[in-house]
Amino acid sequence: MIKVKIKCFSQVKYALGKNEIIMDLENGSTTLDLEQMIREQGKDKLNDVSLRVAVNQKYVQNGIELKDGDEVAFIPPVQGG
Amino acid sequence: MIITPKEMNDKLDDFTVIDIRPENQQIEFPLIGLDPFISKNGSLPDMDGKRVLVCQFGIVTEGMILENDLENTFSLLGGAQAWDEFYREQQDLSRWSRQTVLPEIGIEGQKKLLNAKIAIIGMGGLGCPIAQSLLTSGVGQVHLIDGDMVSLSNLHRQPLYSPHDIGKKKVKVAQEKLSKLNPETEIKVSKAFLDQSNGQSLLDNSDIIIDATDNIKTRQLIDQLSKQLNIPMVYGGLFRFEGQVSILNVNGSPGYSELFPETSTGGETCEDAGVLGMLPGIIGNIQALEAVKLIVGIKSNLVGKLLIYDGKNHKTEIIQL
Repeated sequence: MIKVKIKCFSQVKYALGKNEIIMDLENGSTTLDLEQMIREQGKDKLNDVSLRVAVNQKYVQNGIELKDGDEVAFIPPVQGG
Repeated sequence: MIITPKEMNDKLDDFTVIDIRPENQQIEFPLIGLDPFISKNGSLPDMDGKRVLVCQFGIVTEGMILENDLENTFSLLGGAQAWDEFYREQQDLSRWSRQTVLPEIGIEGQKKLLNAKIAIIGMGGLGCPIAQSLLTSGVGQVHLIDGDMVSLSNLHRQPLYSPHDIGKKKVKVAQEKLSKLNPETEIKVSKAFLDQSNGQSLLDNSDIIIDATDNIKTRQLIDQLSKQLNIPMVYGGLFRFEGQVSILNVNGSPGYSELFPETSTGGETCEDAGVLGMLPGIIGNIQALEAVKLIVGIKSNLVGKLLIYDGKNHKTEIIQL
């Protein structure tokens, strides 16, 4: 198992009700697996929301394998101005 | 009391000029065109009549006058640095002396600001503080682009507008209010929403485009125009207590389409999701700060990075794009 810290921004924060979550994942889990879990937890509140993913403060384009201790940020676009 | 280089020059015979600076500072800006009394160790000669005290940036002398309650004594605003520029270039930049004193800005940085042309798209929650800060920092031209009118629900977060402005075009009200902040800045206004047909002509003379809009679709269009015209874009966006800022499209650096792909959706507008007025004030000022740094050439900036600010806990996150 690996332990990762999830940082939630804007709609993700409101959908999950938390700023940060520590989660245990199976070895070999990827950002795509984690995004799936986050979307399931957020239920319909994240259905129409695009998410960008950063691992350890760096954007990742495609799913990458996570390591123990990684910080994963889920960042939706924001509209307001 | 303070006096500007121009005011002092206009009435030079009325004053005794006293240079209180140490020698090393006198070498950097030697008060050309003046014949000052040189004060040793900050001691002032006994004399009648008006006198002007000169230090390097006009800060020490203002303090001296206040602390010692000196009468008939003026502090030269901007000090020797401002006098030097005024004498050599006939340009009085003393108004900006509290920012030209910063080594990162200086006189050269201020001149870059005075020559800069910045387009602000959207004169809502972000656009108002952006325009205010750019004008007061001395930007030479701002171009305000918005087709919207002032409404009652705008007022809590858009400090350029008052109840009696409701129903009026935002850009016209903003132009009137902003012109009082700094009459030297040229304020161009376009009463239009940016679209494919007008985008290029509205933006092509700008040095920087600031995105202060409230929807993803317009951001994508600004990004496209920013790339096409090779003009950097300063992006800002809000969601409730959270804001995002990034500088996009600087010599091939990531743009909005790299930040959020074209198919991106999500996030309500401030009208729908709600926002406290201070948040656009904070985020808009960060955008203005980044624009100023970009013009002046301060390297530590948000090019290729996304700043996320949370107004609830004041945490910031900087993501490398």
